[in-house]
Amino acid sequence: MNRLNRDTVVAIILMVFCGIFFWASFSIREPDYGVLPPSAWPRVVLIVLSVLSMLYFIQSIRSPRSIDKSASKIEKGIKGWFLTWQNPIWCFVLFFGYVASLPVLGMLIGGIAFVFLLLCMLGGWSIRNLLVHALIASISVGGMWSIFTFGLGVLLPAGEIFNPFG
Amino acid sequence: MIIDNILGAVAELATLQTLALMMIGVAGGLIAGAIPGFTIAMAVVLTLPFTFGMPASQGLATMVSVLVGGLSGGLMAGILTGIPGTPSSVATTFDGFPMARRGEPGLALGIGVWSSFCGGIISAVLLVTLAPQLARIGLEFNPWDYFMLVMFALTITASLAGKNLIKGLIAGTLGLLICTVGEDEAVGMARFNFGSDALLQGFDFIAVLIGLFAFSQLLSDVQDRSAAKKSLSQRVTVRVRIEHRRAVREVLKRWTTAVRSALIGVFTGILPGAGGSIANILAYDQAKKVSKHPEKFGTGVPEGIIAPESSNNAVEGGALITMMALGIPGDVTTAVMLGALLIHDVIPSPTFIAEEPVLAYSIFLAFFVAMFLMLGIQSFMLKVFVLVTKVRMYMLASVILGFCGIGVFAINNVEFDLWTLLWFGILGLAMRHFGFPLAPMILGVVLGNIAELNLARAFAITTDLSPFVTRPWSLLFLLLAIFSAFFPLYQSSQFKNRWTLVYSPCMAAAISIPVFMMGGSVRPVIAVMLVALSGYLIWKRIRSGWQLPSNKLA
Repeated sequence: MNRLNRDTVVAIILMVFCGIFFWASFSIREPDYGVLPPSAWPRVVLIVLSVLSMLYFIQSIRSPRSIDKSASKIEKGIKGWFLTWQNPIWCFVLFFGYVASLPVLGMLIGGIAFVFLLLCMLGGWSIRNLLVHALIASISVGGMWSIFTFGLGVLLPAGEIFNPFG
Repeated sequence: MIIDNILGAVAELATLQTLALMMIGVAGGLIAGAIPGFTIAMAVVLTLPFTFGMPASQGLATMVSVLVGGLSGGLMAGILTGIPGTPSSVATTFDGFPMARRGEPGLALGIGVWSSFCGGIISAVLLVTLAPQLARIGLEFNPWDYFMLVMFALTITASLAGKNLIKGLIAGTLGLLICTVGEDEAVGMARFNFGSDALLQGFDFIAVLIGLFAFSQLLSDVQDRSAAKKSLSQRVTVRVRIEHRRAVREVLKRWTTAVRSALIGVFTGILPGAGGSIANILAYDQAKKVSKHPEKFGTGVPEGIIAPESSNNAVEGGALITMMALGIPGDVTTAVMLGALLIHDVIPSPTFIAEEPVLAYSIFLAFFVAMFLMLGIQSFMLKVFVLVTKVRMYMLASVILGFCGIGVFAINNVEFDLWTLLWFGILGLAMRHFGFPLAPMILGVVLGNIAELNLARAFAITTDLSPFVTRPWSLLFLLLAIFSAFFPLYQSSQFKNRWTLVYSPCMAAAISIPVFMMGGSVRPVIAVMLVALSGYLIWKRIRSGWQLPSNKLA
């Protein structure tokens, strides 16, 4: 995807986004009290955003090469795209898993698992790495969990399968 | 009265626990600021979850300490590795690194540390003296003025944050839109929740901030697979001793550079949106311009370290002045500080210093004390910094991501905040990738509610829109917003198009109108001076035959 397409696509997405939110703004209930209706400010913001998105769209068509040159660094094709974004994608996927499994694993076990898996995904799976990563994950998350639980008195989720203090 | 407030603040801060927390804060800030790729804002954001359980003054003192430490930490990486730890210390590397390579890393570090201290102390003095005065001016503001002040803050941030103004404005507007999700504060009606109960509460401000800023920054840091596996720097000069005595002598010999740069820093900080990244370059440029040997800059001259370091530490004093006096954050870090105040049920406004004097003076005092702590522990932290640079980037990023999860959950004990963190982390990374600046968006998120509440208050008084242009302060901010919106265009056309020759005279003349409308005895004089300045600039242009100036930097 070249630069022209990329900026144009972002501008179109923004305009569609504005359209959806504008449509949703008609579902906001208008009470009989208050002078400024609750939908007024969001609509003002959306109008401004729509106008700016239009300008961005026009700008992306008029001067496609003058905006940013970072696109050239990205490898071509789906495989290339995955290779470029591999690390952030793993971060997202693992964080997603961490949050989704929170009610079951809890913050301590889930956190250690998340940090350990992320360390291995980003740093490699050799035996030495596994040991170092396990140590780092246990100490860092365990330490942080202890500070919040015992030091600051925050009740972090213990999880259904492992609940040592429940 | 002031003495009472200061004594009250001393009583709040002079506990062993608070001082220990401040010391940890400064140490953490020094390390975070020294690590290239980590920003001061990120360090301050990540400190926030720890401060919930603390009293307001203690929590804010800890955050101020992280801020002060972070401001000074950037110089360690800049001088020893040539890679600036933060954008605020970019100019420090121009002369700091050559001086270190010349065999004087201890002197370079010493000059950096003492210049930072000087800048910080000057800005702290100005913070204590100017903030209450500015707050008095702020009491004149009505809802129209406040609304326009927010618009000005967003416009100037958008115009200064990125090369593309439209992208900056889109980012700021998106920030305002994020605030509208959930029940509105005025009448409590659900907005944009799309049937979700979790969205009724809106997005938690801190989860959004950590997601947009810290989460996306970490992902950006580990995007390059090979770079992520490398340690932060292999070029650190080990066993460096800071040469304090020699450094103090060098800074005192060039005290005018230190004071001038600190004033540049404070002024830049007062302007919403203009942070340390701009101030250090501005101060370096000014020091070079007034120097008798500008050709030596870049080879390792002391002025080249004094100017950026004095200015970047002074910036936060300036930013705190605006935040504490008007409730408008000057940059991302003060936006987080404002968030911390809101968490402790303190709403910064012109009445903040009058209503919460002990807390306000605790922040002032913490800023002072943190400067001395920074000076004391910088030498020790230098050794820790050398150790930290041996850690691989992916290890730091993974551990901090894990911490982000725990910290964000701890804010409200709500799982939805973790989803907010994730989605805004993705959004932040996408925005970075597509070249959208994040600072306007963060300011939009922070200021969105303030803007809407003041608009609602204005409409509650009258539905007439004319006060936006008939009230002097509102008109002033409107004009400043218009001129700041055109600033990027002015900057890019400065040496190419003739219309840029009338930009400054027009701005001075236009601003004189609302200043004159304000009345009193001093302000009309300022207005006349502005008109005279405008006339003088036009006279100068006519004399030079409307010739475009040559670009000396090119």
